[in-house]
Amino acid sequence: MGQDSDKASKTTNGKLDKTNNVNQAQPPARPPSAPSPVTKPAPTTTSAVTKKEAEPPALEKGIIDTLVKEFGNKINAVYARPLRIKIVVEPKDISAVAIFLRDSMGFDHAESVAGTDYPKDNQIEVIYHLGSYGTRELEGHIMALTTRTSRDEARLPSLINVFRSVEYHERETYEMLGVYFEGHPRNERFLLPEDWADIPPLRREFRIKGR
Amino acid sequence: MASYPQEFRFGNFVASIIWLVFWILLIVTLVVLPLIFVILFYVPLPLADGEVLTPYLFLSMVVDPTRTLPILQFLMQTDLFRVAVFPGFTYAALIAAVTIFVERKFLAKMQLRVGPLYAGKIEGILQLIADGLKLVSKEIIVPSGADKPIFWAAPIAFVASAAAVTALIPVAPGWVVADLDVGIIAMFAIFGFFPLIELLFSWASNSKYPFIGGLRALHQLIAFEIPFILSALSVVLLAGTLNLTGIAEAQQPYWYILFLPISAFVFYISALAEVERVPFDLPEAESEIVAGWLTETSGMIYGLIQLGTYIKLYALSALFVVLFLGGWAGPQVFPQELGPPGEKTPLIQLLTLEGIYNPVTANSIFWFTLKTFGMIMLMLLPRGINPRIRIDILLHTGWYKLIVLSFINIFIALALVYGGILGPQGILTSG
Amino acid sequence: MNRRLAEANGSKIDEAVSTGMQVIKEYSPDDDRLMTLSVGPQHPGSGHFRFTIKVDGDYIVYCDPDPGYVHRGEEKMCEYRNFIQNIPHLERPVIHDSANITYSYSLAVEQLVGIEVPRRGQFIRALTSELDRQVYTLYWLAIYGIFLGHSTMFMWPTGDRELFIDLLDALTGARVTHAFNIPGGVRNDIPEGFKQKALRHIAYYEKRLEEYEDIFYNNPLLRQRTEGVGILTREDAIKLGVTGSVLRASAVPFDVRKAEPYDIYNEIDFKVQYMRTGDCFARAYVPFLDMKESCHIMRQLLDKMPSSGEVRAKLQPNPKGPAGEAYRRVESGRGALGYYIVSDGTPRPYRVKMSVGSFRNMLALPHLLVGAKLADMPSIYWALNYWPVEADR
Repeated sequence: MGQDSDKASKTTNGKLDKTNNVNQAQPPARPPSAPSPVTKPAPTTTSAVTKKEAEPPALEKGIIDTLVKEFGNKINAVYARPLRIKIVVEPKDISAVAIFLRDSMGFDHAESVAGTDYPKDNQIEVIYHLGSYGTRELEGHIMALTTRTSRDEARLPSLINVFRSVEYHERETYEMLGVYFEGHPRNERFLLPEDWADIPPLRREFRIKGR
Repeated sequence: MASYPQEFRFGNFVASIIWLVFWILLIVTLVVLPLIFVILFYVPLPLADGEVLTPYLFLSMVVDPTRTLPILQFLMQTDLFRVAVFPGFTYAALIAAVTIFVERKFLAKMQLRVGPLYAGKIEGILQLIADGLKLVSKEIIVPSGADKPIFWAAPIAFVASAAAVTALIPVAPGWVVADLDVGIIAMFAIFGFFPLIELLFSWASNSKYPFIGGLRALHQLIAFEIPFILSALSVVLLAGTLNLTGIAEAQQPYWYILFLPISAFVFYISALAEVERVPFDLPEAESEIVAGWLTETSGMIYGLIQLGTYIKLYALSALFVVLFLGGWAGPQVFPQELGPPGEKTPLIQLLTLEGIYNPVTANSIFWFTLKTFGMIMLMLLPRGINPRIRIDILLHTGWYKLIVLSFINIFIALALVYGGILGPQGILTSG
Repeated sequence: MNRRLAEANGSKIDEAVSTGMQVIKEYSPDDDRLMTLSVGPQHPGSGHFRFTIKVDGDYIVYCDPDPGYVHRGEEKMCEYRNFIQNIPHLERPVIHDSANITYSYSLAVEQLVGIEVPRRGQFIRALTSELDRQVYTLYWLAIYGIFLGHSTMFMWPTGDRELFIDLLDALTGARVTHAFNIPGGVRNDIPEGFKQKALRHIAYYEKRLEEYEDIFYNNPLLRQRTEGVGILTREDAIKLGVTGSVLRASAVPFDVRKAEPYDIYNEIDFKVQYMRTGDCFARAYVPFLDMKESCHIMRQLLDKMPSSGEVRAKLQPNPKGPAGEAYRRVESGRGALGYYIVSDGTPRPYRVKMSVGSFRNMLALPHLLVGAKLADMPSIYWALNYWPVEADR
């Protein structure tokens, strides 16, 4: 198992590039500090009317204000729609923010951990969707806690000591994208076969013929 | 299987029959008959009715009815008949076969299915033959690390022990293969073999899941032998004899289940555990330990073990009937004679089985089979109702609750004997 | 039944399964006393999933799940097909609960592209979701029965499932993997006579549910085997992030249909069923209560459905929307099924991440199995409502 992780981290350094063509998809232009230009309707209805980004609703605005008050400019709120909030933090601050969200704001578990590869920015974005089972007002809310790391040297602190439920999700992100989570007890392959000796599959480093 | 059936032509059919007859006659006259005569030259023939029973005599009984009946009577008194046909192997195997089929249909109806349907014209009646042929034709895979002598010997010992148990069961008065004075104790002695055989076989399989299954079998069977014996002991107290025929005859006026219901209940539960039926099928719990101690069996070994299991089921149901349900007791429903009274022509004599037919015996067989079958159905019933029990609950039940219940029942039996109601000088004893 | 349930409620909620942790501290994993069993894919009690357990006598001291036997790269495949083409392969993780797994995807895509689903389409979508929930839960219950050795409880739910599969067959054209939900609504309208047939089936089915209760849930042997076994406390359930019936069996009344109502669920009146004990019996009983509740929901849906209207929004070929992302979830048979979709303005999604209930519930497996008896292993494992194919995606 140790060898697997070594091999995977070698490939993330870009030394073994399988093909020359990077996938031509356009990642959304989203540097961490700019607010999102997205104008989307509220998630509870599926209205086709695209309106300008409305004022964030009161509860979400309150959450963002509390976070900004606590952490200052380390928090970048990307959007705050009804029931969905997305914030971006630096990798070094993510543990502190997560602990604050868990203890003071009431988000008690992580529903999912997703990694997205943005080769255009040369970054990998890891997004933690946090939910709340215990707090009544936050029942339907999902807080998307995001951080970005470089594609070449993808290391992030693990949130396993904050939210126990990220254990298998982070392990899967490790094997699928090559992001090493420091502090996670087992950065090993999970869903892939035992004899997988190739690049992490969800990276956009190859093109599939005919598609 | 994928070939298209040819059109049926009657001429070809007749030709194939004649061809078959030709070949049979050829082989019989050239091979089989000389072989028989060679054997008969060396083997001494028995005497029948003062005459030596040669094959000619045997074949001539077909044309002379006056000689058939004495020969049949003679054959029925031999030990071979008792062991092989009735009440021995053939009878038990027939009941076991019918049990397997009835179990599948019965469970299917309870589970809103139909069970076997396609083998045989009527509702899948030939399914058992199909399954038997399938098992015979399968490859027997012996694991490489297995202990081969025990691996081969244990299933045979299993069937042999099961058959030994059926040898002790009296089906009709005078019809038992081995009439021992200590019948019940011999029964339990043979039952003590089964955990040993199962443990030996699971150890010889050299694999983890059989190992766990064998241990579970050992724990289960040993735990339930004590309430098994104790509940039978209360019956022995009332009957005053260890002989199974004597116990059955001692129940002539009233069956023991009326006096000892708790004992019957304990015996029933212990019998379910001894024969490893649901809810006590832990040794072969499928979802936990693959197939338990049967994991490495395949082909005919599996077939032999299944046969042994169903013969054991028959033996335990029959034992229950003998101990608690009065054995063969029942109202006389068979007539004294099968045909018209008076002198009969030899053919009518043959057809009405004069000299062989005994109304008491026929009646006993009928009631015994009926009661045994009812008990077998009662033992099949929990499979459709209950999940599997867990080993610690099982041991707790077997060692604590059932032993206490059987002791209670022994006290009831003692009270009945000393109170003069049953037992040797009792009010309600027969004669 | 009610009396025993009242006794069980609230009595064992704080009892942690602590014996296991003491046992594991005494032995090193290479100790000779321990026997390693691979409850692997070749096992009647495991499904397409493997977990390694080390056993000391009858107690499990170590458990390591090893999924991935059915991993097909669903998320990667999504990036090479457009939004509509993704539907058939996204159904495959749970073939008989396919309406729910595509429902969540359709909601997320509709949010990204900006589609409004007609009202009748929303009702039909919810109806298909409830029917598939029944189909999945009955299959799960059947396998739970056979894991415990109860062959009748395997045959009855599998047979009664045919009632709903019949309805789905008439509605969508396929028994499983319907490919019926698409972004924008459903493919076709419901056929003639469907409502009467559905009401008949539901009425018969509700009578059958009472028989299930008699033979299975009130069976003393089952109670003995599952009550007090594998207790998951409320704090542990929240910390481990489990979802669905496992969560509701541990005194957390969370249902996505109530917490974050999607489509027309805010017009339907139903209760969230939950139990407090958190043992295997509660995890087996909550889906049963959910099924009963689902029958009420289906009746309301059939009543309130608008009698006419479009069922699908008209879409351009290769629908696409502005760049953005969306996270939507629905309540499936296993729990909250969420989709995180990132779009970059092209007809193909840039990234699709499925957060499935089975993957989240898998975390409770080592937590509960360590310290449990070997004989409880199938009942604990399957009570976690784990569908191996879905967890692997």
